Amino acid sequence: MGFLDRGRSKKKGRRVVLVGLDGTPYTFVRRLIAEGRAPNIARLAEQGSLLRMNSTWPWVSSVAWSTMMTGVNPGKHNIFGFVDRDPSSYKQFIPTSRTMKAKTLWEMLSEAGKRVIVVNVPVTYPPRPVNGILVGCFLSPSLEKAVYPESYVPTLKSLGYIIDADPWKARESKELALQEVNAALDARIRTLFYLFEREKWDYLQVHIMETDRLHHFLWQPMEEGDPVYAPAFYEFYRRIDEMLGRLAAKLDEHTTLLWMSDHGFCTIKQEVYVNRWLMDMGWLKLRHIPPDPQKGLEEVAPDSIAYSLDPGRVYLRVRGREKEGCVAPGAEYEQYRDEIAAAALRLRDPRDGSPIFRAAFRREELYHGPYLEQAADLILAPYDGYDPKGALYKETLTYKGDELVGMHTYDDAMFYLGGATIPQTEFSVVDIAPTILQLMGVPPSPGLDGRSLV
Amino acid sequence: MEQKGFTVWFTGLSGSGKTALALRLEEELRRRGLKVERLDGDIVRQGLTRDLGFSKEDRDKNIERVTFVAKLLTRNGVAVLCSFISPYRDVRARSRQEIGNFVEVYCYAPLETLIERDVKGLYKKAIAGEIPNFTGISDPYEPPENPEVMIDSSQETEEESLAKIVRKLEELGYLSPTESEKAYTEEEEALIEARLAALGYL
Repeated sequence: MGFLDRGRSKKKGRRVVLVGLDGTPYTFVRRLIAEGRAPNIARLAEQGSLLRMNSTWPWVSSVAWSTMMTGVNPGKHNIFGFVDRDPSSYKQFIPTSRTMKAKTLWEMLSEAGKRVIVVNVPVTYPPRPVNGILVGCFLSPSLEKAVYPESYVPTLKSLGYIIDADPWKARESKELALQEVNAALDARIRTLFYLFEREKWDYLQVHIMETDRLHHFLWQPMEEGDPVYAPAFYEFYRRIDEMLGRLAAKLDEHTTLLWMSDHGFCTIKQEVYVNRWLMDMGWLKLRHIPPDPQKGLEEVAPDSIAYSLDPGRVYLRVRGREKEGCVAPGAEYEQYRDEIAAAALRLRDPRDGSPIFRAAFRREELYHGPYLEQAADLILAPYDGYDPKGALYKETLTYKGDELVGMHTYDDAMFYLGGATIPQTEFSVVDIAPTILQLMGVPPSPGLDGRSLV
Repeated sequence: MEQKGFTVWFTGLSGSGKTALALRLEEELRRRGLKVERLDGDIVRQGLTRDLGFSKEDRDKNIERVTFVAKLLTRNGVAVLCSFISPYRDVRARSRQEIGNFVEVYCYAPLETLIERDVKGLYKKAIAGEIPNFTGISDPYEPPENPEVMIDSSQETEEESLAKIVRKLEELGYLSPTESEKAYTEEEEALIEARLAALGYL
């Protein structure tokens, strides 16, 4: 419907620059401030609102950022995790911007005649056209395919821009992980300032994925005060602090600085294999043990009641919806859902008896909208430290590895708004798009679930 | 999932792209495995409504019969694609009410563009007074006030227009979102899966 707005004169409103710090916990930043490790952030926090924010359930970046960029719940934008499945074939697929069904903040701004530049936000590949520039996220297969308009690829190449740090290298050793994330951060910062200074924009959003990566690989050594890795971790955040300080110094009076994260982080106590648990309970059966990894969910046997995808999404094998489904819709469905939910809440860590899940949400408790049917039937919410995984087959219920040591948390995301006070104390990522629209003087599209914080 | 029936109703002046888009949509829906039936002004007037002319009364009757057929098909799980000038707002409102699962697509292009295009040579004749009651020239067209989708064929490519309709049908729950176009080649998908696996998401 963009053509209806073509030629409409620009309304007055502020320019906004937003830096996404993937997975940076609010409480961690407060600690950095208290320990004098983030002088720029400390000063900026006094000149604006630095607040704690809730993520989404589940708290993965694909769901959280899709919610951020659309201002609607997953029932309306159709992104429920990093993987999803077609219930009629059990084929798994990676949801992309084509799977995402809601209009994005930058599409709304584009229609209002604003020029936008958006870089690296999860679930923006393939790049959907905007009035400006869009660079797709780490789910892009190559830089060439990630950029709208394509003619901007050479500029990004000349800046040494990269799609992502190499996560396999990062798994090899913590030294390599540090090298990888620092190099990627260099490219991100260089690109941020180039775009800020050299391009025309009303809205600029640059996403730093490397914070999340750093946390996945090094959160535990940081927390434990490792003599090598804790200082390296703080050094990384010194660079983040410096970047935000430098950016703030360049703002004019018409531009507002925002930064935010999409979820918090904590150390993994144990990974939890939900499909192993479903097998132990008799609700999941596999055709072969061990299953053929090439076949994925096709290894689920026909008389299974349920299966799970990462993280903690449990699907019932409902007749008429799922291939060879055997659970009757209606009373039987509800009965199984109740049973599985209750059992999840009773599940204990075999090592010390700690409860693993704090809640088992029925999908309609979390989501509403035309895509509710695509959501998992139950979304299991763990206590911090228990990381629910989607592996189809594992021999044990829990495991603790030493490569990926950090996991996400729900209630410790962060939002910063420069130069204004936010009265609300409880809000979530769904409220960010409406807030930005309000700041920029663009009326929100109908049907948004979030509310402006200003 | 069982197919939910629905009717996509293309309305707009002659030459605005109704039939062309309906054909593209038909192709797309069949590719997705849906049962599809297309009802087109140019076709039904050779059979179902052969006896009718172009007076307001006859036009209303034409739409009334087509609506009846679309209603039967829709309630039996068929995707029905209707392309009719259907110039009167109250008549389209009645079709919407009768059919239920009704998606109105307004095909627009400026009249000057249509006259210039004149694919069927009808505008020329109408302007010369050879065709009486010709919508847009000698008969009124009442544009929809709240169509589900609006198309401007003077500004959009057929691809873009089709994508808009498909997206709306997905949004309304008539098409399964998992059928979305693939974003990766097999090789690319393997690359991205490996990346996600390294991060523990698979």
